[in-house]
Amino acid sequence: MTRWTLGVSLGASLVATLATVHPHGVAAQSSIVIATGGEATVPVPTLMEGPHASIANTDVADQLFLRLAELGPTLITAGDRAFVPRLARSWTRRDSVTLAFDLDPRATWHDGVPVTAKDVVFTFTRARDPAIAPQLAGLLRRISAVRAEGDRRVVFQYTQPYAEQLYDAVFHTAPLPSHLLAGIPPLALAGAPFVQAPVGSGPYRWVRRVSGQYVELAANERFFLGVPAIRRVLFRLAADPDARLNMVLGGEADAMDNIPSPRSNVARVAARSDLRVVPVPTSTVGFLLFNQRDPRDRDRPHPILSERDVRRAIGLALDRRRMVRATLGNAAQVPYGPTSPILWIRHGAPPPLGANVHEARRLLAARGWKDHDGDGVLDRVGRPLALTLSTTNSSAIRQQLALQIQEQLRQVGIRVQFERFDFPVYNERRTAGRFDIDFASTAQDPSPTGLGQGWSCEGSTNVARYCDPVVDSLLEVAGQATDAAPEAWRAVLRRIEAGAPAVFMYGLNYLFVVHRRFTNVRIRPESSWLALREWTVAEPAPRGTAGY
Amino acid sequence: MRHWLLRRTLQAALTLAVAVVLLFLLTHLLPGDPLAREGAGRPLTSVQREALQARYGLDRPLLEQLGTFVGGLARGDLGVSIEYGRPVVGLLAERLPATALLGGTVLVLNFTVGLWLGVRQAVRKGSAEDRWLTTLSLAGYATPSFWLGLVLAGIVGVRWHLLPPAGMRDPLIAGGTLAAAADVLRHLVLPALTLSLVSIAGTMRYQRNAMLETLRLPYIVTARAKGLSERQVIWRHGWRNALFPVLTLFGLWLPILVSGSVFVETVFAWPGLGSLAAAAVNGRDYPLLMGASVLVATIVIVASLLSDVAYAFLDPRVRLS
Repeated sequence: MTRWTLGVSLGASLVATLATVHPHGVAAQSSIVIATGGEATVPVPTLMEGPHASIANTDVADQLFLRLAELGPTLITAGDRAFVPRLARSWTRRDSVTLAFDLDPRATWHDGVPVTAKDVVFTFTRARDPAIAPQLAGLLRRISAVRAEGDRRVVFQYTQPYAEQLYDAVFHTAPLPSHLLAGIPPLALAGAPFVQAPVGSGPYRWVRRVSGQYVELAANERFFLGVPAIRRVLFRLAADPDARLNMVLGGEADAMDNIPSPRSNVARVAARSDLRVVPVPTSTVGFLLFNQRDPRDRDRPHPILSERDVRRAIGLALDRRRMVRATLGNAAQVPYGPTSPILWIRHGAPPPLGANVHEARRLLAARGWKDHDGDGVLDRVGRPLALTLSTTNSSAIRQQLALQIQEQLRQVGIRVQFERFDFPVYNERRTAGRFDIDFASTAQDPSPTGLGQGWSCEGSTNVARYCDPVVDSLLEVAGQATDAAPEAWRAVLRRIEAGAPAVFMYGLNYLFVVHRRFTNVRIRPESSWLALREWTVAEPAPRGTAGY
Repeated sequence: MRHWLLRRTLQAALTLAVAVVLLFLLTHLLPGDPLAREGAGRPLTSVQREALQARYGLDRPLLEQLGTFVGGLARGDLGVSIEYGRPVVGLLAERLPATALLGGTVLVLNFTVGLWLGVRQAVRKGSAEDRWLTTLSLAGYATPSFWLGLVLAGIVGVRWHLLPPAGMRDPLIAGGTLAAAADVLRHLVLPALTLSLVSIAGTMRYQRNAMLETLRLPYIVTARAKGLSERQVIWRHGWRNALFPVLTLFGLWLPILVSGSVFVETVFAWPGLGSLAAAAVNGRDYPLLMGASVLVATIVIVASLLSDVAYAFLDPRVRLS
């Protein structure tokens, strides 16, 4: 066994040596490594839609490209007051359909060329072209023209007066450098070398991408709003959420955007003295969507769920608060209507209805649903009250909640068959309307105008074919208001709640993890790392020194 | 021999051609939308989807898409990834080194440690060492690699802080090439160990049985009778012949290490072909998925061919039959 002992000793020595050899340079002290679930493949405004509409692309693009202005802390998208100047130093309203922006003369691209009005006009010409950016063009449909007045002033013309004119001009896209891109045909841009090394005007500039591993950015030394204290930003790829958490807990990364299930992971992070947990409201709202049409024949109403009282009964049979608390703890709230935690119209909305099993049973009985054959499942004219509940197997939260929903509905005599699908399959079935109840989750824009997509009769993503003409008219009134009009939006929410096209289950907060050496940590709900340039580094000790 | 080799190569080429067509059709029959992304903000409208489908050529008839793909393949062009917006060939080339490093390490460990232990067991058949190595190899063979990976990452990487639990290299590492190489080595240990522990177990058992069969043959008795040392009998006469069956194992293991390490690459965030292929499947990125599939199919067929050729080269009975 001497040779064995020698072999084991040599192996242990090698591991011990490898465990201690990991020199971090001085630069590591002012760097941040963010563990991320996706690779930034095309982090360029106007290109980030369809297959490129990923959080990873947005996270990197937000560091490279500066918008004309950013949403303020209230996240109010209506009016002109709740925004913070960025590339635009100021803006003035000429009339109800004309907005003029004055660009900050100090702003330059990363290659040193000044940012001009020509760049803004160039960007919006591309962004408003459906052949180039079909989704963006739809969002900017109410901008009729963008023109330059000299080098520093750009004027936006709108088709009509409405409250979110400024929001439309600044939120959806950031200016691109026309001097680098004008010669590239728009449809060839995605494959152009520019995409592999983008040049922007933001607080960080592109350094490199190591395929499958990380994207590295460096502080823009010429950034006119102040050079960031964090000198290097590395978005490090780990597709698996547990691998991301391991990276952070193992000292290989400084931050990540969402502690994965189970909840015991939160305790693991909280137990660490060098890490902090930061709750951040998200744009995510999860809901049970009732199909209004028969999944087997979309021309016919759904044999069970087209009745409003049945939908309401399902909502009343569910103790949403209890389920959400048990599954997500304090990381989520039950919303009133389709409102994520970042949607400003949720403030002042009434509290969501609580569970009322007695009333649920009464509503079902009134519609003729009774347990005639004593099998524990309600039935009517020989048809059992049996429904499918579909969701994607990529969401642990929805899967956990679905099991509880199944059990709670069983107690009122509704049989639910739970179906889980791979996301692409789930999405295809959902889009085709092949479901009874869809446990969906949507990432909303900060603007309430997005509600029209899912809840108006002709809404482009209204896969359940829910249609209430009153909701449509209320949406139109609220969307055309020239001020914030919170009451008009709340009327929309009240009407949607009354029609019960869905049961709104949760508005989610993410629990971010950030190393404690960073201070002034602000994580933006609408774009996680947008405020990274304002973070500071408190301690000189680099990450990982406490570990191996 | 030359005629046999030519025939065998043509068979391999035909197999690859059939595999390419089948893979293409099956890939495109998968349900799912290559333009939809989980977590994306506003979903695409039908008009927007049609515009993007036209851009990526997804609106063309399937046979036309197949023709385009095969034409490109003949020129060494696997198309452009929908997700990455870059040529698939370049993407595969970027990820291949990581897979080759991990797979190569595992293969080396497998065919050194595994073979050595297998021979050792056979020679010491029935001993205490044989018994506990058999128990260990059975346990290793029965252990799912993704579970082992999770345990090693959680205990060695996170709890003990001995080795990095994920990634291939620390982007903040300072120092020269040596420091960088040591860093990659540190990151390699856990994924390589995870795959090796499982694969070595199989090789050990295979080699042990082959060696036991060989050691029973009369020429081994003759070798001993001639007065050769035990080392010479075992390694020069016994092991050489017991190696043939293991060549088959090499042909089987090579493609598994390229394509089958998806779970391990995911658990350890190892930037190889497996994780790239997994992302392509999840995103229904047809060009990338096809590129990865064709590469793996090629490796499988070539490995099988090489295995046959090696067999035929070493054992004349094979090519004569």
